[in-house]
Amino acid sequence: MIELTDVSKSYNRGKVKAVDGLTLTVKPGEIFGFLGPNGAGKTTTIKMLVGLLRPDAGRIVVEGFDVAKDPLKAKQATTYVPDFPAIYERLTGLEYLNFIGDVYGVPKAERLERIGKWLEIFELASVVTNPIQSYSHGMKQKIVLTAALLPGPRVMVLDEPLVGLDPRAAHQLKEMFREHCDQGKTLFFSTHIMEVAEKLCDRIGIIHKGRLVACGTMEELRTLDKTESSLEGIFLELTDK
Amino acid sequence: MSKVATVIRAGLRANFGLAVLKHRLFKEKKDRWLVALFGLAAIGVLPTLYGVVLLIKAGYLMLQPMGQERALLSLGLLAGQLLILLFGLYYVISAFYFSRDLETLIPLPLRPYEVMLSKFAIITINEYLTVAAIVLPVVITFGIMAKGGLGFWVNAVLVYAALPVIPLAVVSVLVVAMMRFINVSRKKDILILVGSIVLIVASLALQVGLGRSRGPQDPAAVTAFFTSPDSLLNTVGSRFPPSIWATKAIAGGFSAEGLANLALLLGVSLVFFAGMIVLAERLFYRGLVGLAETTGKRRRLTRDEMSRRVSSGRRAVAAVFGREWKIMNRTPIFLLNGILVVIFFPALFVLMATMDPGRGGSGGGGDTMFLLKVMTSANPLVVILAAALFMTICGSLSGTSSSTFSREGAQFWISRVIPVAPREQAAAKFLHSYLVAMLGVVTASVVGALVLHLKPAQLAAAAGLALAAGVLLTAVGMIIDLARPLLDWTNPQKAIKQNLNVLLALLADVGIMTAFFFGVRALVRAKLAANVVLGVVFVSLAALAALSYRILLRFADKRYPEIE
Repeated sequence: MIELTDVSKSYNRGKVKAVDGLTLTVKPGEIFGFLGPNGAGKTTTIKMLVGLLRPDAGRIVVEGFDVAKDPLKAKQATTYVPDFPAIYERLTGLEYLNFIGDVYGVPKAERLERIGKWLEIFELASVVTNPIQSYSHGMKQKIVLTAALLPGPRVMVLDEPLVGLDPRAAHQLKEMFREHCDQGKTLFFSTHIMEVAEKLCDRIGIIHKGRLVACGTMEELRTLDKTESSLEGIFLELTDK
Repeated sequence: MSKVATVIRAGLRANFGLAVLKHRLFKEKKDRWLVALFGLAAIGVLPTLYGVVLLIKAGYLMLQPMGQERALLSLGLLAGQLLILLFGLYYVISAFYFSRDLETLIPLPLRPYEVMLSKFAIITINEYLTVAAIVLPVVITFGIMAKGGLGFWVNAVLVYAALPVIPLAVVSVLVVAMMRFINVSRKKDILILVGSIVLIVASLALQVGLGRSRGPQDPAAVTAFFTSPDSLLNTVGSRFPPSIWATKAIAGGFSAEGLANLALLLGVSLVFFAGMIVLAERLFYRGLVGLAETTGKRRRLTRDEMSRRVSSGRRAVAAVFGREWKIMNRTPIFLLNGILVVIFFPALFVLMATMDPGRGGSGGGGDTMFLLKVMTSANPLVVILAAALFMTICGSLSGTSSSTFSREGAQFWISRVIPVAPREQAAAKFLHSYLVAMLGVVTASVVGALVLHLKPAQLAAAAGLALAAGVLLTAVGMIIDLARPLLDWTNPQKAIKQNLNVLLALLADVGIMTAFFFGVRALVRAKLAANVVLGVVFVSLAALAALSYRILLRFADKRYPEIE
């Protein structure tokens, strides 16, 4: 479960308001899609969620733990996939997975099972002992995703997770999203791909100029748009200001 | 031409972060304390600079009656050019072949030489800054002492501008040719490592060579040598003639000799520069394309192999330590400036001390060795403290602790999101940095035992002091880096070699050691027994070590969440 209450963040000494009074709840078992134009505040929100940025105001609670007051417990419940896979290029894929397993305290049996499963799905099994610097962009993205899945987190936060993935991997990732949430876990992700959000998400939030301009199921969003068109139409309508 | 100028301007702005600095200083109004700190550092350096100037003045006054004063200028210029050569290799390889903006530049409609020129300009400016500390005090003091006229100063400016061109062009040509003709591009890590070690050894050999060519030995020949004007200049400069031309150009001013030598220096520089450009146009891209490719074997692990290689769970501190260790050792620039420095420095010391032929025949070793032997047979307190200082310097010379957070660079987000308390991460990083420092202390101890023949008790006492000092200096270095980690680098060189934090930590280390020096002097003057002095030094070092370590852990808890 993720709860954001009246969260704000500005840059440049308050001159640029990136996120403005954002209030949002993502329930357990829910896939939540976070949409918005470039510079709308998506990545800032995500970074505040995982503790990479500190909000100027407001409160963020993940699985009952306040991110500001109880950061370690909140982090223990969350894994994060950034929009660009900047990871330790000098480690091998397996060393990186071991590192993540160690810091999250994943038992060996679970590690073996999850690493085996995701390496097969992402077709990384034959390169996992190679240095990450020899991986392509897509392979790096896949190893970051594998690492994020390894602790079996209650909450997953992903920033543009489908960028750089081939169609097969993207398809498998979407299946994983569903599987993850069917176990009562929470998934929060940002995307620019409207079809994915429309088909996959239980609820969708649209952020524009730092403010949440719409939030709800696809059905609820359609009522906001006079033409009751596709998500793309709704998005264009709401962010054309 | 304007295209070249644009590329050079963009390269300089990106490399020196001028736009970012301007934004931070004037728009975000951050980092203004840096300006004050630089001012303070400049004031702090003044006494040292004054000492250097006095030394140069003394040298001038000593050499001038013999007509040999120009050798001083030549020595300064030669030292500057050697330094350019030494740093040049690092700079050239990393700027020409491993800076990430090459991926942006190559697809642009630019000629290979234009891209290389933009990189060359960055290196040249870096070199001006690097050699300023050595060359400028010599040239300026010489100019004042020799009452140099307009010709002196104009030529000095031109010579300074041309100074890096020949050595850098030589290094560039060597590197570009090597990358093109030897298929080493896929083994770029090994190339940097081997290249650097070869260059360090070569410069050492050159130094030994220079040391051996000190001129004639028998008294008559010595007299003849010194009565012939500029004989010393020619001897000093014979290893690298451009330093002779540079000296004569500056000292000669607008005289025929001055202008002829200036023309010679500028002309030869131009020829080297042009040669480099021609070569760049033909070879630069051919060595460059495909460099980003790294290959790895494809092999699937068996179930048993996977089970063996998947960790059964280490504590978080051990995991972070393991990560630090692996990344440091597998990144050549980090390895060279971290672990290899602490091994090289004591080895270098031994070489310099034993190969100095000044007092040849005294059982091997020269002036330095003689001085050291005199020192080590003196007051045991001095012996222990000097050995401890040597060990401390050897252990703390590397930038390992003061770049520990900076080295994470763009990957720092991982440290921020993992569920490991910042103090635990700092503790793991401390262990890693301290281990490197200990390696320096151990190497220095070996030198102390085998070369300086220190007694075991003296070694043990010195090592005890150095290990306590190591904790303090490691923690201070880490605190400095944590206060303002340099995370936005694209070239690992910037994280450690061009990181201001490493310099600041070095200054802090010098400050701490100086404070201890004055403290010990006061204790000795108070006529305290040697054991008491040692005890006081050890207890105060240990107390400061414990305090600084605690401050580091608390600071980590405070600072980690703030770094955005």
